[in-house]
Amino acid sequence: MILKTAWKNVWRNRVRSLVVIASVTVGIFAGVFAVAFMNGMIAQRFDAAIDEEISHIQITGKDYLLNNDPEIYMTPEDGIIPAIKSIPGVEYVVTRTIVTGMASTASKSAGVQIIGINPDREKEIFKLYKTIIPGTGDYFETESKYDLALIGQDLAKELNIIRFAIDSTVLSKLRNKEVPDEITTKLEAFSGKRFSNGKKFISTVTSVLTSHELRQYGQLIREEAWSYRENSRMILTFLDRENNQVSSVFRIAGIYDIKNAIFEQSQVFLRNEVLSRLTGIDESSFHKVIIRINDLGESENITNEIRKKFPGLDVKNWKELQPDLAMMTDYVHQIYGFFMVIILAALAFGIINTMLMAVLERTKELGMLTAIGMNKKKVFSMIMLESVFLSITGGITGMIAGWGTILLTAKKGINFAQYAEGMEAIGYSAHIFPEISASFFIMVVILIFLTGIASSVYPALKALKLDPAEAIRTE
Amino acid sequence: MKNYKIAWRNLWRNKRRTLITGASVFFAIFFALIMRSLQLGTYDHMFRNAIESYTGYLQIQHEDFWDNKVVDNVFAYSPELDRVVKGMKNCTGTVPRFESFALASSGTLTKGVMVMGIDPEKEALLSDTRSKLVKYHLDNTAIEALRNSELPENIKKNLDLFKGNSYSNGSSLAVDFNIEDKDTSAILPVFREYSFFNNGYIKLGEPGALIGDKLAAYLKAGIGDTIVLLGQGYHGTTAAGKYRINGIVKIPTPDLDNKIVYLPYDICQELFYAPGMLTSLAISIKDNDENTINEMLVEIGQKLEAPLKVLGWREMNKLIINQMDADSKSGMIMIFILYLVIAFGIFGTVLMMTAERRREFGVLVAIGMQKRKLATVVTMEMILMGLLGIFSGIIAALPVIFYGYKHPIRFYGEMAKMYEDYGMEAIMPFLLPDMYVIWQSVVVAIIVIIALIYPLRKIRSMEVVNSLKA
Repeated sequence: MILKTAWKNVWRNRVRSLVVIASVTVGIFAGVFAVAFMNGMIAQRFDAAIDEEISHIQITGKDYLLNNDPEIYMTPEDGIIPAIKSIPGVEYVVTRTIVTGMASTASKSAGVQIIGINPDREKEIFKLYKTIIPGTGDYFETESKYDLALIGQDLAKELNIIRFAIDSTVLSKLRNKEVPDEITTKLEAFSGKRFSNGKKFISTVTSVLTSHELRQYGQLIREEAWSYRENSRMILTFLDRENNQVSSVFRIAGIYDIKNAIFEQSQVFLRNEVLSRLTGIDESSFHKVIIRINDLGESENITNEIRKKFPGLDVKNWKELQPDLAMMTDYVHQIYGFFMVIILAALAFGIINTMLMAVLERTKELGMLTAIGMNKKKVFSMIMLESVFLSITGGITGMIAGWGTILLTAKKGINFAQYAEGMEAIGYSAHIFPEISASFFIMVVILIFLTGIASSVYPALKALKLDPAEAIRTE
Repeated sequence: MKNYKIAWRNLWRNKRRTLITGASVFFAIFFALIMRSLQLGTYDHMFRNAIESYTGYLQIQHEDFWDNKVVDNVFAYSPELDRVVKGMKNCTGTVPRFESFALASSGTLTKGVMVMGIDPEKEALLSDTRSKLVKYHLDNTAIEALRNSELPENIKKNLDLFKGNSYSNGSSLAVDFNIEDKDTSAILPVFREYSFFNNGYIKLGEPGALIGDKLAAYLKAGIGDTIVLLGQGYHGTTAAGKYRINGIVKIPTPDLDNKIVYLPYDICQELFYAPGMLTSLAISIKDNDENTINEMLVEIGQKLEAPLKVLGWREMNKLIINQMDADSKSGMIMIFILYLVIAFGIFGTVLMMTAERRREFGVLVAIGMQKRKLATVVTMEMILMGLLGIFSGIIAALPVIFYGYKHPIRFYGEMAKMYEDYGMEAIMPFLLPDMYVIWQSVVVAIIVIIALIYPLRKIRSMEVVNSLKA
């Protein structure tokens, strides 16, 4: 009965209630979507770290991580691999050989980690093979008379392997894509020119186009002008087991793009047999074991089990390998909660105001209800229910709107291309796909409910303090 | 009676409503100011770090060097150029640098490093390499000795956490170990006694190197050891040389600490076969006001000849600016949502007020008050309410901001280590009141003005007879 009365009371002053409900709707919608956005960004970073960079558990020789000393390696005789594979929960295991060296082309050089892998086995753990930029080659599939190396997009830029050029084909392609003639005419001035790197290209293009034109067509122009020299080569220099300097020419097998500048700049992948041949490190020995497990929640248990079996090795799970990521995933729910609480606190002011108004203008009515025998508990809960109805109605519409928007944007994602450079430098993609778990919605519902209750306390107390005799007499 | 007086009294006729609405504005302003101040303050600090310890505000380079950092893009360091720059009134000196990439080896260990040729004395004007020399080093013997020393227990328990760390000054050590200011004079001497690090320096004309603390740990190299540098020299030559490590430096940016090798710049020129050449000439300035810097930028630009180019700090720190911009935008979105919600709250109040006072408005007009005057009074009421919230919010936030400016938020112990692993300094200072305070007030003012449209239209279209019946 009280439920019904309260619900009807909410709609007695329709406009006023709608304003409050609308404010809750907008607040919750914006909050839910903002959290889904943040969450999508972090989830993408997490997936990228696990699926492309570190996986779940890594094992190295004792103190190897201090300075990547190539002399600290493991061999099959240690019996590590079969022992790990026998642990329940371990899904896949791969080994890597790693040396430090320098990659150079005719014009530039950069320090890199050269990693010997078994390409087929790596596919079981890492999705790197799916991130090869179309047109730059493939994941060690095409054979060549040279040894093959897989490099990252940022290293390719650094070494001037990727560059930008505008010529007649690029211009005609742009025209086909309905880029206005005035823009292509402006670009024609650079026809035939090659830009050794992206920055120079961008600054040149920026200098002739207006900011409006840039916003609309910049991305397109960049994509079309991007050029990769087929069969590019580079030289890798490193020390072999006898500490002799080895320099060898490699053909670029392909260029991967995982939206993480640091990783892309420093990690060069070769076939393990090639690295072994050049360094003299035995093909069957390795510096690092990488493990993928079935259940993320088990990573600590499995890490401990491996530690117990091999106390002489360094065993690290993803949380220890990327403490910032672990911290983020551990605290992220508190941050979301805090964010929603701030929004709800701001909403509470509006609800309190409205409820107070609703109570004060009904002084006579409430007095009458008390006078004819409605007890204080019921009056109190009626007011409280009204307030909860206001907030929950707004909350639910807000959540539905938020959820709908998340579904709409999750497919194509939201691309902040202008921040790509900065975000990729710290490992985040600028193309964000909002997502959020159902448990977050449950938390939000609880929070909204609590807000409704909390903001009704003061108005409801006011209602209780009314003296029935006095209240009936008021105009 | 004056309009503002009527408005002020009207406000206090319904005290509760005024206070609650005022409080919602207060809450938004207070929260937005604290958040913005912290965010902007942290950026400011990061900026200063990046600029003052590395790039400086202005640099002269070969025009291709910034985009393509190879040894071939160097320029001749002429006394004439030096004189021209030094002749400018805001310039306090020039800092020559020769920067390149090389492989550094010590024993069997090799790593790609950044070789930075500097003038060991002139560098004091910018990154002040000498102040970054390691003074305390917590190696195993130091830790053991400190464990048995008279240090308080709460400090000893952090010893293991920071094993192997180095510090170039007492204050950064105090942060990691959570030593309070009043205790530093008692505790630091103990650290000095057991973990003092005997460091040397480099000098122009004498081969010798300073290397980053993390790089030293990586290469397992200490003072007196030799490192071999191998790289690409001027015009395709091979650059190779070996140098004695004279000192270890601790750079606050971990990424740089991991790869920096300082050489005297003339030795560096020899190494890369580029005698008399520099990759950049950083300019140290007195007044770092943005306008002054921009003026200098233009002025130097006019004086330089073809292959030379002057770069400002914005151009040299694009990446940080880009990151900060993205982060700043996300903070602004949060504040935007907050204000959106507050706007609805204000609109709700206005709505209620208008409905409640319909009859009152009717009476006032009936007894001869001009509608225009009524509208003015209502407008003043709303503005006063907004101002009440804005000023109380600002007044409440200011002490917090000033306190936060004097005593930045610091993370101690494990949290500090985490931050360092992440490549950041474990410190978050506030930014003193600036334009951002005004912006918050402007936003609230705009909200109030928009909310005003409703009652003003109601007043204008009001039919006195109907209102009186309400």
